[in-house]
Amino acid sequence: MGRPRLGLAAAVVATALAVAAPVRVAADDRPVVRTMTFAERGVAILVTTDVTNLFDSAAYARLDDGLPTTVVVRLWVYPRAGKRPVAFQLLHRQLIYDLWDEVYEVALTGPDGRRQYRVKYRAEALKLMTSIDHLAIAAAADLPYDDQFVLAVVAELNPVSAETLAEVRRWLSDGTGGGLDRGGSFFGSFVSVFVNLKIPEADRVLRLRSQPFFRPRPAP
Amino acid sequence: MRRRFLVDTLATLALLAGARGAATAQPTAPTRLPDPVAPPPARPADGVHPTDGVRRPAADAPAPPPAPAPPPFEPPAPAPPLGAVGGDALDPDASAGTIAATLGLAFGPVITVDDIVVSGNRTTSARVIERALPVARGDVLRTGDPRLTQARWKLLALGYFRDVTIGLRKSRQRGHVVLAVDVDERGTVALNRLWFGTSAVVPWWLGADLADRNFGGTGVGVAGALAYASGGPVAGARAQWAGELRLAAPNLGGTRWGAHATVTGQRGSEAVRVSGPAGSADPIDLAAFDYKRVGVRAGPSLALTALTALTGEVRVERLDARTASITSRTLPDGTVAPLDLGVRPGDSRVVAVAVGLIRDTRPDPALPHAGARLELSAEMGTSGLGGSYDFAVLLGRYDRFWPVARRHAVGLRVAGGVVLGDAPRFDRLHVADVDRMLPPRVLGLTTAVTPPLRVLSGQRADALYGELGGNVLGEYVYQWWRRPARIYGGDLFVAAGLWTLTATDRFGAAEHPVGSALPIDVIVDAGLRIDTEIGVFEFSISNALGRVPR
Repeated sequence: MGRPRLGLAAAVVATALAVAAPVRVAADDRPVVRTMTFAERGVAILVTTDVTNLFDSAAYARLDDGLPTTVVVRLWVYPRAGKRPVAFQLLHRQLIYDLWDEVYEVALTGPDGRRQYRVKYRAEALKLMTSIDHLAIAAAADLPYDDQFVLAVVAELNPVSAETLAEVRRWLSDGTGGGLDRGGSFFGSFVSVFVNLKIPEADRVLRLRSQPFFRPRPAP
Repeated sequence: MRRRFLVDTLATLALLAGARGAATAQPTAPTRLPDPVAPPPARPADGVHPTDGVRRPAADAPAPPPAPAPPPFEPPAPAPPLGAVGGDALDPDASAGTIAATLGLAFGPVITVDDIVVSGNRTTSARVIERALPVARGDVLRTGDPRLTQARWKLLALGYFRDVTIGLRKSRQRGHVVLAVDVDERGTVALNRLWFGTSAVVPWWLGADLADRNFGGTGVGVAGALAYASGGPVAGARAQWAGELRLAAPNLGGTRWGAHATVTGQRGSEAVRVSGPAGSADPIDLAAFDYKRVGVRAGPSLALTALTALTGEVRVERLDARTASITSRTLPDGTVAPLDLGVRPGDSRVVAVAVGLIRDTRPDPALPHAGARLELSAEMGTSGLGGSYDFAVLLGRYDRFWPVARRHAVGLRVAGGVVLGDAPRFDRLHVADVDRMLPPRVLGLTTAVTPPLRVLSGQRADALYGELGGNVLGEYVYQWWRRPARIYGGDLFVAAGLWTLTATDRFGAAEHPVGSALPIDVIVDAGLRIDTEIGVFEFSISNALGRVPR
């Protein structure tokens, strides 16, 4: 009985050690509060902000590598105290550096369609990729007067599809190959010790949350 | 050039400044950018205010500066409808990768890949790396081609590298490029399994399964497993050992075809009940017979898609069992019943062919919250090819997970199998295969005869092996944490389900109730799964129960 108890105790201690740190970091997923500019034009609510922080210096330098850089920005309008979004907007932006012409080709896809630009400087290209300027995020009619809302923004740099992630992580579940331990490997769960590379779902993810905003009732 | 350098330097500084600004959540001055998506400037702030309780006049709001928008060089095209990217787009926790894949453009200049230059590879052969790339020398494509986007992931999917950086460089002629691949290798040795424990019939056992997925940098996987179990108090029992060596080449010559081979050896001592009540684990009610197994299995594999693989296998095995001393079982009422040990006395051979299918769409197999894994296997042994046993074994497993809310997921795990004909004892379903609360076999060695816990069944289950069995479990998973380094994530889980196993080594079936021949009972489990830099671990109640001698 000594060995199993020792093993169980070791497992409990390992579990406790393992979970001690993560409780602290669980808050890392929380969005950064960012003051954004809202406007109402006609029937639409517009927002102006940017997701420049999505790029660190390394990501910025990689804009010149000749391969596509992709930014996907999703925006949700939530009631301040609610969990159900009342509006959603999606932006898709792609950049490629033309090695020979030394220009940046940028394709922007949004609610108004898709447009392509060619700019000379990396800073300009970055601005095109990360600026959100007077973007219609909701129909004004969907935001009742005096109700408070917040805008949640999730921007992802070079996101990876679920299928690609599954392919990249497939080797984790390859199992033992079905030798003598066929039953154990076929029915059982796997526990493996190896140098494990965690493939993130995107190169970088930026989560923003706006200050609360509301539509004041028009003066009579 | 100087102006360009200056602009880029200033932009870099602006980036860093922006990072600080975000930390303090300072509002940024809106700048009118040449974004054709944006509607014309609106009358600002007339009706929308920060909720500080102060109604601001329109003049307080920053007016958009007049920004010269460079005209797009292509007219706007209609955007794909949101439905084209699926409902995932609406889930803040869902990956945006599907959106990127759906809306991505194969734009950019047309290039010709003149050369591929690999760097950073200390042990992995450059040829192995080049074969895994979806582009080759001489290919003509646009720089926005998905093949170039996928190239990095194809290399990471090998499991050999910590990171991969890919870039294009100018070649000699205009439009011609060199694909530069820089890899950062990582350790590829894995401890796949570790066995240890104690039981009433085996004082202790120990074993390990080690693998190198990239042996000598050749891309060939080599794995070895060895286990030892001490002899115990059971009459006729002796020490047992088992070992196997596995080789696998998943991509032969860069094709979708692969090959694998396994050599196995086993010297076992199998305990069977020869007296006493059903399910007895008392060594006095048991007797052991010795056996030896030596075998080879080998075959091809074919990657049907990136996530689906088909395997084939031929197996030849020599079996030598010393069963003469065990022929019958004395029941508690004194009746003597013949025992079917499921193995030919003396020398015999197993010759079988098998096919298998695996499809795994789980984005994170270590901590699954979505996707499915399907595994099917069929093996047929025949005397027509020189074997001593005519049998078929069909196995299936299906795991599916559904995210139900932020951090919450539910899963369904179904596994089962059927053994037809005269299968060798060791190819039948073991009770520990279907009841995860029992100690599992160790490289095919039986190290415990612990009976399952009785919750639904009135009578103790007696059979160790069966012909038809399986389990079904419902699982609830709570995502405790995720982080980018070291201890990547942890999930708490609770599972419950049922298992069953029809016993074929049962004795005098007519004298025993159905509950004994077809036990159905519950499985309950709960625990913690951890995905870390050094591997994946699972601490669970069932695992602990399986290690407690009963």
